[in-house]
Amino acid sequence: MDRRTFIKLTALSGAGLAVPKEFGVLAHAAESAKRPDLVVAHGGSAEQIVKAALDAMGGIQSFISRGDVVVIKPNIGWDRLAEQAANTNPEVVAVVVKLCFEAGAKKVRVFDRPVNDPRRCFVQSGIIKAAGSLGADVDYMDERKFRDMDIKGEALKSWPLYTELFEADKVINIPIAKHHGLAKLTLSMKNWMGVMGGQRRQIHQKLDDSLVDLAHKIKPSLTILDAVRILTANGPQGGSLADVKKLDTVIAGVDQVAIDSYGATLFGMKGSDLGYVVRGHKLGLGQMDLHKLNIKKITV
Amino acid sequence: MKNLRRAVQTLFLLFFFFLLLQTESKGNDELGYPVRLFLDFDPLIFFTTLLSAHAVAKAFAYSIITIIVTVLLGRVFCGWVCPLGTLNNLVGSIRKKAAAHQGRKWHRVKYYILIGILGSSLFTLQPVGIMDPLSLIIRSFSISLFPAFNYGVRAAFDTIYSVNPFGLAALSEPLYTVLKKSVLAFDKSYYEQSIFLGSLFLAILGLNLIERRFWCKYLCPLGALLGLLSRFSWLRRSVSEECTECGACSRVCQGNAAPDQKENWKDSECLYCWNCDDICPSNAVSFGFGKKKTAAMDLGRRRIITAACSGIAAVPLIRITPVSRTNSSDPRLLRPPGSLEETEFLKRCVKCGECMKVCTTNGLQPTLLEAGLEGIWSPMLVPRIGYCEYRCTLCGQVCPTGAIKRLAQEEKAKVKIGLAMIDKGRCLPWAHATPCIMCEEVCPTPKKAVWFEKVEVRDRNGKKLILQQPHVDLELCIGCGICEAKCPVLGRPAIYVSSVGESRSKENQLLLT
Repeated sequence: MDRRTFIKLTALSGAGLAVPKEFGVLAHAAESAKRPDLVVAHGGSAEQIVKAALDAMGGIQSFISRGDVVVIKPNIGWDRLAEQAANTNPEVVAVVVKLCFEAGAKKVRVFDRPVNDPRRCFVQSGIIKAAGSLGADVDYMDERKFRDMDIKGEALKSWPLYTELFEADKVINIPIAKHHGLAKLTLSMKNWMGVMGGQRRQIHQKLDDSLVDLAHKIKPSLTILDAVRILTANGPQGGSLADVKKLDTVIAGVDQVAIDSYGATLFGMKGSDLGYVVRGHKLGLGQMDLHKLNIKKITV
Repeated sequence: MKNLRRAVQTLFLLFFFFLLLQTESKGNDELGYPVRLFLDFDPLIFFTTLLSAHAVAKAFAYSIITIIVTVLLGRVFCGWVCPLGTLNNLVGSIRKKAAAHQGRKWHRVKYYILIGILGSSLFTLQPVGIMDPLSLIIRSFSISLFPAFNYGVRAAFDTIYSVNPFGLAALSEPLYTVLKKSVLAFDKSYYEQSIFLGSLFLAILGLNLIERRFWCKYLCPLGALLGLLSRFSWLRRSVSEECTECGACSRVCQGNAAPDQKENWKDSECLYCWNCDDICPSNAVSFGFGKKKTAAMDLGRRRIITAACSGIAAVPLIRITPVSRTNSSDPRLLRPPGSLEETEFLKRCVKCGECMKVCTTNGLQPTLLEAGLEGIWSPMLVPRIGYCEYRCTLCGQVCPTGAIKRLAQEEKAKVKIGLAMIDKGRCLPWAHATPCIMCEEVCPTPKKAVWFEKVEVRDRNGKKLILQQPHVDLELCIGCGICEAKCPVLGRPAIYVSSVGESRSKENQLLLT
């Protein structure tokens, strides 16, 4: 238990004991106990499915509290348009930003360290406009804010990571589901490459181990896997609409391994086909066996 | 009048800097500002491009305006508009006293330079960019002075941020944010020869300490061209009987136009700064429209012929380099996408540096001798510094002469800058039994030009590994260089682009098609 969780739990139980009339808090805790592990929402618009998925997860307020500084981490890696499915869908990002503010977030930051020119990625993806117009801070990453951090993993002992991610009260990961030449698929765990500084290209040499190390270091409050459109080949940047499949689906959950394991099925694969999912499962990061998960499917 | 002139000069100088700042990507496909506007108004580039390439760039309609204005009003462009002229004025004012030795006869030099340049241009060489004042000032600021300013300011704020003396960073960071959004570039940029080009420019400004507006009076070929045009100018200066021949006007004259010589006033040297009118203690000077009597422009027939011949002789002299032979040019000479075939490219490029300034990745760099002396300071993509961004078309948008064609995104996607090839002796999966997919991952063509062959290899201990070894599909590769830029094999990359296969050349090809 880290300090932050400890303080929160103390405060929570304290509130529960001292002010019994605030039953809502306890009810809340009870609710999160029977919360599904994964919610798969399908159909409708991006806004509808994201809202439906989060409602089924107990509502955004069970993840975001009043006054929180929230970091939302989409994939904005490539100079591509939304319909090319190389970056997280801007509407998905926008809905999450909106919900965070509705839950009382003080500040919502949206960032990624792109591979292509950051200006083009942020603008062409549509994310800077979609999230910025709602009041989120969509800022280009500041090289000075990467700090060497202990990871103590199998492949990564330490690495410069983006401090703003760790300074936030809550982190929401919003990756997009895509094909990838080495990882086979890039889903939620691989999205953390976007907060790595330095010569991050080196981690391809031990990719599966590195991704699990990163996911151990960065545990988001919530993950929403964007599969409104998925990229089935020539990933992770694609370019041809022939490789894009429209699924109108999002998958919400907390367990990164579970999300990625389910994400594999969107491509006709299994979680066990992905090295980092298998490894994450083995190291206790999460559950890859979909039968052991409480998965709620919603069609909007 | 002096104050009005200064106000106009300041406005144009600020406008120049504004356009310079806008010469950078904001992430959109279109730049959104006519950043090359000053070059569009440059009749010298218009004439030389017409001569060397027999081409009229569309935007040069504007330079007709400059010609008409000069014919009507004389060299007002030099005195009121030109940003280099204004900077010369500013630097010149450091020196309090006017130079004792005014009125050198060197004013003819600029005409000989002009004649030499036109002589070369007539025979297909385009040397004008070296000395054209607008190309010169844009190039110097883009490649040297502005990057240096940007670097300096950033370094200062970064230092305050990291040291944070007395909590000063809390104050400096908001200011830094404001500066980043106003006068700083998006990122630090780095250019080959930046110190050389910057020093050259500072030396030109330094000449003002010898004599104010030294460059404008004695060297500027655009000034010379406008001087010739102003022979027909209708705006005349007259000196009335009240003149006491005190000589006050000659000390403040910005152009060495011999204002104290009355009838022998040199109209082609006058910058119409109005200083003589302002300073005259007996109010004897006035400007008005009409026919005028002025000194004859005596350049000397022999000198004119010598200058022209020198310009013409420079053409073969500069071209007897092996660069002109097929397969002997520098393999690393990667021209920006949309560049014309090399000889046509060189006939147009004026080395203004607009394309290098606007390049999103900082990959476009000035050449030294890669394209021969003829091509000095022309743009070359250096993928290790920055690759060509697949969906970006900005360099073609800013090129003032059409040396780089303006391409639509779909057209650009088909243009090959060169071809990438793999150095199997350095590549991780090829030589070192280590997985890596960087070149394939970043390859931007919709069907990737880099493809994998799955192979089983053994490492030193005999352990079997399945690896993906990259290959380049030469049909699909466009030579953008992102693979080279992102290859983790630092030092000498394991994949690199050379110019062979570039779309613009008929000769420099590899595949039988």
